[in-house]
Amino acid sequence: MLNNLAHLLLSWSLVLVFASCGLAHFGVVLPSDDIVNQGESRSIELQLKFIHPHEGHYMEMMKPRHFGVLSGGTRVDLVTTLKSQAGRSGGQVQDFTFWKSDYQIRRPGDYTFYLEPAPYWEPAEDKFIVHYTKVCVNAFGLESSWDQPVGLETEIIPLTRPYGLWRGNLFSGQVLLKGKTLPYAELEVEYLNERAEQGRLHAPSDSFVTQVVKADAQGVFHYAMPKSGWWGFAALSEADWKLQYDGIDKAVEIGAVFWVYATDLQ
Amino acid sequence: MRTFKIIGLAFLFCLLLANSTLAHRVNLFAYAEGGRIFTESYFPDGRPVTEGRVELRDATEKLLVSGTTDDQGLYDCKIPKVSDLTIHIIASMGHRNSFLLNKAEIEAGQ
Repeated sequence: MLNNLAHLLLSWSLVLVFASCGLAHFGVVLPSDDIVNQGESRSIELQLKFIHPHEGHYMEMMKPRHFGVLSGGTRVDLVTTLKSQAGRSGGQVQDFTFWKSDYQIRRPGDYTFYLEPAPYWEPAEDKFIVHYTKVCVNAFGLESSWDQPVGLETEIIPLTRPYGLWRGNLFSGQVLLKGKTLPYAELEVEYLNERAEQGRLHAPSDSFVTQVVKADAQGVFHYAMPKSGWWGFAALSEADWKLQYDGIDKAVEIGAVFWVYATDLQ
Repeated sequence: MRTFKIIGLAFLFCLLLANSTLAHRVNLFAYAEGGRIFTESYFPDGRPVTEGRVELRDATEKLLVSGTTDDQGLYDCKIPKVSDLTIHIIASMGHRNSFLLNKAEIEAGQ
């Protein structure tokens, strides 16, 4: 009897652990436009969040350690432009902090915005999470540097130009860890369910929420986006360094995240 | 068999043509500063459009001034008129594009 009870408790514990781990975390850098053409606003609003994209759930986000833009081979620090905001999804009962920045585009070119957040403590997984997140905005048709690495600890280098994508396009990228390719990296792919607050998109089962693909021996992955909107790609690995929580060394999950926008063919 | 070869060659030619059109798409970016209008003409990969003809036209399409891009794809001139201006770049092989510089931007750059 005691044995059965122990088995039952163990099973329930596992269910609870998997339930809390089931939602994929994603760092997000969301620009108000991904292609700036003449006659359009050159002011880009960027939202920096830490969320579950499919559910739209926010998580508390401390002020990022680094936030900047790489353009024309030059990196510009934008941390001082960040302003804290409060937000929540429809199913949440409290507000969570996210960050906003406004950036004025003045010249043609590719603008890769990058984020290194402060480590997020995830008690359910007993580890810290740091998602190095990027998104690329093009201005005035000069498409010469969207594949340039920023030099983050881990990052995705797009092999497909990361803007001007149709729904159904194959997005390919290469995962780097400390500047070297990461063979057989595992990636989580998730759709930013922006309508979550008005009623989330239906997924027949949890397996549909987070798509999983593996990179090849050169760290190259591919994914065809089946719906228009923002898609996030997150290559996860464990850092070779630790952070302390309550005086105890804890593992750190580092993610290389890239966001691209797919448009309906009209 | 010969028909297949001709179809194959035609298909290959179409592919090459499509690719060359994409590679030769030209762009022009312009701004006003210090009483002058500066233009930059470039291909998507960043190569400059050299020896391209630049034309500045007003809202009635009247040609106000024209010139030629240098080896960096640049051309500049005095502001010819404070009004909405359409600036055209006409490169070799008939590749062309235009950029609208509105009156407010020109006033700010006087």
